Amino acid sequence: MNRNTHDDRTRNASEWDNPPPFGFRAVLVFIIIFALMTFSAKNIELDKAVSLSVEAGSYLFGTADHSQVIYGGKKIAQSMFPPVLSETTEVSRIENFDPNKTPLFSKIKSIEQLTTSIDPETLEIRQSKTAVQVLYNPIGYLTHVVKKMLETIEMAVWATILATIISMPLAYFSAANYTENKIAYTSARAIVSFLRAVPELISAMFLVLMFGFGPVAGVLALAFHAAGFLGKFYAEDIENTEKGPQDALKAVGVSKLKRLRYAVLPNVLPQYIAYNMYILDRNIRMATVVGIVGAGGIGQELKGRYDMFDYGHVMTILLLIFLTVYALDQVSSKLRSKLI
Amino acid sequence: MLSYRNVSKHYADGTNALTDVTLELNPGEFCVFLGHSGAGKSTLLRMANGLVTPSSGSVNVDGETLSSSNLKQVCQKISMIHQEYNLSGRSTVATNVMSGALADVNFLMAQLGWFPRQIREKCCELLELVGLEEKHLHRRARSLSGGQQQRVGIARSLILDPKIILADEPISSLDPSSSIEIMTLLQSLAVNTGRLVLCSLHQVEMAKNFADRVVGIESGRVVFDVKPEDLDDNVLSLIYENYNPSRADNLDENTQVENLITSKVV
Repeated sequence: MNRNTHDDRTRNASEWDNPPPFGFRAVLVFIIIFALMTFSAKNIELDKAVSLSVEAGSYLFGTADHSQVIYGGKKIAQSMFPPVLSETTEVSRIENFDPNKTPLFSKIKSIEQLTTSIDPETLEIRQSKTAVQVLYNPIGYLTHVVKKMLETIEMAVWATILATIISMPLAYFSAANYTENKIAYTSARAIVSFLRAVPELISAMFLVLMFGFGPVAGVLALAFHAAGFLGKFYAEDIENTEKGPQDALKAVGVSKLKRLRYAVLPNVLPQYIAYNMYILDRNIRMATVVGIVGAGGIGQELKGRYDMFDYGHVMTILLLIFLTVYALDQVSSKLRSKLI
Repeated sequence: MLSYRNVSKHYADGTNALTDVTLELNPGEFCVFLGHSGAGKSTLLRMANGLVTPSSGSVNVDGETLSSSNLKQVCQKISMIHQEYNLSGRSTVATNVMSGALADVNFLMAQLGWFPRQIREKCCELLELVGLEEKHLHRRARSLSGGQQQRVGIARSLILDPKIILADEPISSLDPSSSIEIMTLLQSLAVNTGRLVLCSLHQVEMAKNFADRVVGIESGRVVFDVKPEDLDDNVLSLIYENYNPSRADNLDENTQVENLITSKVV
């Protein structure tokens, strides 16, 4: 470095190197990448997406008679709105029903039901109207979904806690400035990459086989995948944090783990909180997906309703997921601003 | 108390940071290493606490030759004050000071942030000694001024009651008035407590006014070892090629810098 400084000082300013930010080679690389991306875009039907979007735009401005996208969108909107909040259950199907102990806001109603029967003698199909007693709860389905959402949040919170616990030793061994042992370093890096590479949905499918249907498989699937992310992020921050405070403690014989606690952790804490809040947010969203393969949470409910074409119910679930993620975002930003 | 015996340091890239340095330093001395950047002052300081290992020769601290086997014990007799303070900016002043004693704190207690009572009491006493007040105790270190942060650094360096204090350019980032306060504090630590204070500096006037021994280092070699009153122009010219005492005398640092810029432009 000293030698370079010396050389620069001996050369005239007109001879100094001060090149432009990019040259011919960078432009060539950009053109090649652009050509490859154009070819790839055709493979994944981006051209189709563009033409259908243009058609939809033309339809909206009245210059086209038909749009597949708008037609599909209308059908979805019609079947999903309004979201279903109420629940109606036949009294005869409720075990040990006590009319004096009905849930809040619910009431017993009598409705006429069309029943179809076959006359055993003539084999004639008959339809008759019978009065059936039902329990009508105006927020029955909403309550059910909120309970499922709470279970999903519990799953996400536990998955985040487990991911943090798993990722801490992985981060320590993945940080080059703390782990001198090459085998430990390489193994930790490999585990972190492996955990990140296996998607939650895939690991949930295997974990459901191992642990059975229910939230445990979901929690573990989310935790393993998130540990891969957190392990990488934590390790990078440990490597890049200010060296000065660490040197100061090293100079007085402080051990590595204590240095990590006092010279690294306080300085990386805001980033760690941000990562964990993001992982929690992601786990809530992903907990709905792992439910689809039977790993508990609101996803199981979502899949069931979707399969029965109950799109109004699906809309209620989606709205609740959105509200939860939005609320979490607000809490997360407040928490960060307090801690930074 | 601290002796360097024929120490040299050669780096893999071919740089010779130190060549055959021999020095004997005694308790109660305030010794300043003078020299320009890259002369080898910091390397010499950092050899005393094992942050730099000599390529040849040996370092002897309080009767023990420094080696990897006794490094941890010897390190606890030595503390260091850094140019950029090296505090953990988001931690409180108290935590920063107490972290200097971490080597003596049980692992679990340290992880919980639970320092023994005597360390907590000593932290307060030291902060008072370096001129800080109770209101600073629980403030984040980064919220303090440069001078105050360096005082926290000094308090941290004193918490394990070291016999030797190493100060690596402790006033380089400070304004002239804070620099004088810090140098006064370091001088008092040597004079009043009998500790050996070793300090690397660029400021000749500070060395003249506060040190009781000045060692000049040039290209990794000791070129003079004198009392501050013997630090005349001839001696200084051994380390500063173009040293001009008529400009440096009685001028504060800022004026010197201004003069330097003006002379370059003209």
